[in-house]
This record gives sequence, C-alpha cells and structure tokens, in this order.
Amino acid sequence: MPIYDQGYRRYEARGPLRKARFWPITREALRLVLSKRAFLGLLLAGFIPFVVRVAQIYIVTQYPQADRVLPIDGRLFGEFLNQQIGFTILLVIFGASGLVANDLRTGAILAYLSRPLTRRDYVIGKLLVPLFLCLSVTLAPGLLLYATGLSLAPDFYGKWELAWIGPAIVVHACAISLVVSLLTLAISALSRSARVAGLALFGLMVGLEMVRVILQHGFRQKPAMLLSIQTNLRAVGTALFGIADREVVMAWGWSALVLALLSLGCLYVLRSRVRAVEIVT
Amino acid sequence: MTTPAAATAPVLEYTRASRWYGPVIALNDVTTQVPPGVTGLLGPNGAGKSTFLKLAAGQLQPSQGEVKLLGVPAWGSPEVFHRVGLCPEADAFWENLTGRQFLTTLLRLSGFDEAECKQRTARALDEVDLAAAQDRKIGGYSRGMRQRIKLAQAIAHDPEVLLLDEPVTGMDPLNRRRVIDLVRRLGREGKTVVVSSHILYEVEAMTRRVLLVHNGRILAEGDVREIRDLLDEHPHTVALRARDPRRLAAAVVCWPAVVSVRLDPAGEWVTVETTRPDEFYGALHDAALEAGVVEMHSPDENLESVFRYLVAR
Repeated sequence: MPIYDQGYRRYEARGPLRKARFWPITREALRLVLSKRAFLGLLLAGFIPFVVRVAQIYIVTQYPQADRVLPIDGRLFGEFLNQQIGFTILLVIFGASGLVANDLRTGAILAYLSRPLTRRDYVIGKLLVPLFLCLSVTLAPGLLLYATGLSLAPDFYGKWELAWIGPAIVVHACAISLVVSLLTLAISALSRSARVAGLALFGLMVGLEMVRVILQHGFRQKPAMLLSIQTNLRAVGTALFGIADREVVMAWGWSALVLALLSLGCLYVLRSRVRAVEIVT
Repeated sequence: MTTPAAATAPVLEYTRASRWYGPVIALNDVTTQVPPGVTGLLGPNGAGKSTFLKLAAGQLQPSQGEVKLLGVPAWGSPEVFHRVGLCPEADAFWENLTGRQFLTTLLRLSGFDEAECKQRTARALDEVDLAAAQDRKIGGYSRGMRQRIKLAQAIAHDPEVLLLDEPVTGMDPLNRRRVIDLVRRLGREGKTVVVSSHILYEVEAMTRRVLLVHNGRILAEGDVREIRDLLDEHPHTVALRARDPRRLAAAVVCWPAVVSVRLDPAGEWVTVETTRPDEFYGALHDAALEAGVVEMHSPDENLESVFRYLVAR
C-alpha cells in the first residue's frame, strides 16, 4: 500500500464569511484620516456653528423678546444643518477623496479583494468613512443641539407640536451625509489621484453652485436650481423644517428626485469601477 | 495517511476556460487540473500566465468556461479566499504603511483577532527575512523587499492554495534562493502552490511539474526535464546588476559553464550566457556576494525558442 505524506492540515481561521467584515476597512481608513492634526482641527471647526446656535438658544431663553430676530423653533435646526453642508464638503474633500483613488493607483484594491470580502463589503467599508465624517458634523451636533435646547428650554421644546424636530434632524442629516458620501466615493473611484478627485468634488459641489447662481439670478432660469447639489440638499431641508429660502424656487420633490438619481448614478459608477483587476479594452 | 485519490484530487480545475479583454484573447479554451504540490506556470511575457492566476484567484470572471478552486467556482466565491494566498505580479499595497502595519491590516481583513494578527505578522516577516525592516514604510522598500512583503501577505494567513505571480522577479540571488526554498517547503507540506515564471531554471529549482503557457493556451504539461532537454542547444542568458560588475565579469568568465560575458555600456549590468545553468547558478553564490549582485533576471529568448519548437511540432 502506498504511504503518502500526511500533508498540510488547514488552520480553520474562519469558515464562511463573517459579519461586519467591512469594518477593518473603515477602521484603518478612519485611523489614517484622524491621525492628521490639521484634519482634526477642521473637524472641530465644524462644531463652531453648533456653539453659536447653543448661544442663540441660551440668549432667547434669557431674553424671550430676542425670539423675533433669532427664532429658535424648528427653523433653527434646519438652518443649522443647511449650514453644515459646507463643512461636510470640506471634510470629504480633505479626508475621503482618495479612499478609492489611492487603492486604484497603488493596486491595493487587489489586496482587499483577494481576501474573504465581496466588492460590496469593500464599498460599504469605504462608504462608512465619509458617512462617519459627515454625520459627525450634521447628525451628532444636530441631535446634541436639540438635546441642549430641551435642557435649556424644556417648556418650549417639550411641546408636542415640536416633537417632529428630532426625526427631521435625523432624516435631513442622513440625507446630506449619504448623498455627499456616495458622491465622494464615486468621484474617488473615477480617478487614480486623490488630488484630482478632491478637485473634481470641489468643482461639483462649489462650481455647480456658482453656475446655479449665475443662471438663476443672471438669466432668471428657475430650473437651474436643480443643477446645484448643495441647493437641492437645502431644498430638502427647507421642506422638512419649513424654512423660507429664496434660493429654493422649485418644489422640493424635484430636488429629491435629482438627489435620488445622483445617488443611483454613484452606485452605478462604484459597481463598474470597483474591481480588483482593471480591464482596459 | 491519505488515500491516493485524495492526495491527487485537483485543487484547481479549468474547464474550457477562456478570458478575453475586448478583442484580445488572454487565455484560450484552457482545460487543465492542478493537483496539490508545486506547479510551475511557465511561459514568456504576455503568454497568459497572469490571467491564468487571476482567474484562479477569483479576480477575473472567465469569459467562457469554468474555473473551480477547491471545488467551488473561483469567481464570486469570496468565502474560499480564506484558503487562498495571492502574490500578484504588480505592486498592491499602501505605500504609507509600514511592512508590519500592512500585514496586520490584511490579516484583520481575513478575520484574525489582534493577538493572532501580531503573531502571524511576525512569523510571515521572519519567513521572508523582513523582520529588520518591519517598521519602515513600504514606500521606502527596494524592489526585492517589495516582492518579499507581497509574498509575506500571501502566506501570512497560512492558506492551502498559493498563487504566486513571478515571485522572485527583482530579487538578489540570496533572497531568490530563500524564496525558492520556501516554495519547495510549502509544497512538501502539502499545500498547492502555482508559481508563474518566464525562467525555466527558476521553475525547475522549485518543482518538476510544469504547465507551459503560450499565446493563451496550455502548450504542454508534465515533467520539466523533458523541456529542459529541448533547451540544451540554446544557451541560457542571465543578466546581473552588481555594485562591482567588472569584478563579477572577471570571475565568471573563467567558469567552464560560461560561453560568453558582456558588460552593458553603462557598466552596471553583466550579461552571461551559459550552456549549463545548474552549474552556473551553483557557482554564482560566492561570486555574487563578492561583487555585490543586487538584481538578477533572465531574458526569455531561450524559452521563446523552445516554444517555437513546440508550436512547430
């Protein structure tokens, strides 16, 4: 009888795919981003409007007549979140524009996708990074502001008529963060350079806003509003919080539709660009 | 004790597998099986070796046919990647990480806990002799070190199947020897190792079983000695970059196995032709150390001539 070598016995590291396998991707990327002091400074700067709004609530609770010039009803939260859109853009440009681009440039995407991960895991792992950054300057301070309002003016914010503020903050913050994050990742996947991706993102978010202003004010073109991602996000906020914004000249439904289509487009880009092996035909 | 059938069951199975990129056919109607042990994938540049390995690693979908890895389709089965280690030909890492951070990150992706990540990282770095450089950023690694860190990430999670695409390219003779020994040892341990190269003698040092790939097709498979016999009439060419190339040239020109020595105009590279590669490589070690050989490669013209011969048959 032939005797064969016992051979290699596999170490059973993990059998089937484990849950939350995207987490090491997010963790590593966040560690790298948050290790930069300048970036932490930018993140902290995103809380300055929060401090200003807290001061606003405090002043109104001390001097109720100030409510006429500094209203602290639901509009305060909507305006606050709309203001934070600018910070989300800055954070993703400096902290997330290279997320996929750098992996494509260095070929490291292959290192990820040769592990027990799906392409979806990779995208989720990367998407959580800008999402975390955006939520940290929208949802976190938004809810904190609401909680501060409740503690400083419990009689006012405790009213049943204003109970919608909390859910509206969650919805608007998530909408802003998701759209900005998807766009960041898609732009990053379209380039091999973090700088180019950052510039493209800046062009899309700020450049299109400038084009909108020129077309809307210079040429009285109302539909130009739909060109600007920032204005579309603000339009959703105006609807949720009942704010009067003279820049929002079309029904919010149109803006929501544009943002939904944009998000789908981003997912399509990610689906076609996130591959271990780039195929050039 | 394993049964003969289990010992030779194919780990990797290609059934009429083809892959094309637009109008270019990279792999053409390949049907073959790879059993446990070391298998050399031999072919000139552009023959389809990398595509063969990428299909096996599940990084490419076959345009036609099927590629099975450990009994399941390689494409779309990431759960099987726990058991596979891939060392790609091109660089695939984050240059701003240190060697240790790079391996630890990848081990985390494979699902190991922190303590095990540390332990496995240290072991893999030791295997490829990079322990001393583990805290240096990969961006500052030499070409040979980059090759070794790629190899380390492929073996760190202790996979059953190893797919190594040109793993010794750019390495100095000492590390080349180490890697060859490592591959042989992994094969002896019962792992399945597919190692691609365009240098016959490199593959021959690792295994006797080879698959010859040419123009996207498997041209021949079997014992490497048969191919070697065909090569006897063609001198083997080796290019060596050394710190003291003239000293190296002076040393090797006296060896009976060497038929010609040439210094390039820049005076960095020494190109040697030999009719007895085994003897040449055996004697090279000491001379390489003395002359400070930093890089070595073998152009594939001689192999190309074997392919021409096989195609003509």
